[in-house]
Amino acid sequence: MQRLVESLRRLPGIGEKSATRLAYFLLGAPEDLVGELSEAIGRIKSETAICERCFNLGERSPCKICSQPGRNQSILCVVEEPADLAAIEQSQSFQGLYHVLGGALSPIDGMGPENLRIKELVARVRAGQVEEVILATNPNAEGDATAHYAAECLAPAGVKVTRIAYGMPLGGDLEYADHVTVGRSLENRQLVQ
Amino acid sequence: MASLEGEAIVLRVVEYGESDLVAHLLMPEIGRLTVIAKHARKSRRRFPGSLDIFNHLTVRISRRRQSDLGFLEQAILRSPFLNLRHGVRHYALASYLVELLDRMAPEAGVAPDMDRLFDFALSALGVIGELEPDLKLRCFMELKAFDALGLRPELEQCVRCGDPPRGPKVGFSVPEGGVLCGVHSLAGGSNLLSVHLGTLRVLRQALIYDLKHLGRLGLSGEALAEASNVVFRFQRFHLGFELKSERFLEESLRGVA
Ligand SMILES: [Zn+2]
Ligand SMILES: [Zn+2]
Repeated sequence: MQRLVESLRRLPGIGEKSATRLAYFLLGAPEDLVGELSEAIGRIKSETAICERCFNLGERSPCKICSQPGRNQSILCVVEEPADLAAIEQSQSFQGLYHVLGGALSPIDGMGPENLRIKELVARVRAGQVEEVILATNPNAEGDATAHYAAECLAPAGVKVTRIAYGMPLGGDLEYADHVTVGRSLENRQLVQ
Repeated sequence: MASLEGEAIVLRVVEYGESDLVAHLLMPEIGRLTVIAKHARKSRRRFPGSLDIFNHLTVRISRRRQSDLGFLEQAILRSPFLNLRHGVRHYALASYLVELLDRMAPEAGVAPDMDRLFDFALSALGVIGELEPDLKLRCFMELKAFDALGLRPELEQCVRCGDPPRGPKVGFSVPEGGVLCGVHSLAGGSNLLSVHLGTLRVLRQALIYDLKHLGRLGLSGEALAEASNVVFRFQRFHLGFELKSERFLEESLRGVA
């Protein structure tokens, strides 16, 4: 019991109290749930691979997306994390390939360019085939700065570099939106067909 | 519950629990204040796009007495200083400045002159976005940040006897926080930093100049190295450790004339 509490405490966001609560929960939980959990934890390292091309997380490398036939090899979407990639995949509006940076530039957290896969991005683009890079990092300070940094690094490669648009979220309310978003939504307005 | 309304600059934002954010704010009259924004990551309605580093906001905070942790009730964006995101050197210098203020600004209303610190921070973020950051601007900005924090180094007269410094070069004593006259420089020992009077003059001007006009002050070569060293050693003495954004800033400014 003590060993389990100690191990749980090492997880992010889990303190002594939560660790003890979780341990007691597991103690009283049905056999199959505990078995399933411990098996899943045991297999996470051996069965999860980082894709050698796009750095997505998956069961093998190259990942499902990189090895899927019919994907447009000439367009690359750059995201911060695998979860962002999953969100774009879910939208079913992108048929190209991805590049996962592994975070965003955040000097105050000690995250510099050397901690991101920017060199790998430039190398991928230089290797040929890619005609457009879409920078889909988050529209916050870190994501914007990362996008500008990546664009600077990509400039010598002479590839078309674009940035995802800012705009009003679906179900949003103009009255409650910040003035930058409202301004950008007007700049990026579209013809009503 | 006491309510507090006013301007704020976001110094830092950290995710907290499942759906909350903790933000470090710099506010006039108050200084640094840590606030929690409940459900900020789930509901964008109360804080749309506003809890981001560098942002200048109008906020409403409720505070229980005796506790310095405030609850952010509302935040309206005044300016996001977008320029700071659009160049790596701008982003690096602004991050460095904000981290310095986050570490050094007095917590929740114990020190006087917080209005001045806030005004400095606000105009510094604007100016960094408009100028081309280089080693000189970093040196001046940092010096002025210490001044705004109430830690102005003595550059006019000897910290021991009050005599004006004379001669081509004098000593600067980091622990004593200022320059020494010729006599005291000689007696000062080996820990003194050696500074030309010309360099001191430029640093004194930087303290007086409006932030917008710092670009007009000339400082290069040996004088820049001397001035940067004085400011850097002064920073380390008062801070005691390396800021996380320091390396990124140095790499970004490397090779910029
Ligand atoms: Zn892949
Ligand atoms: Zn003296």
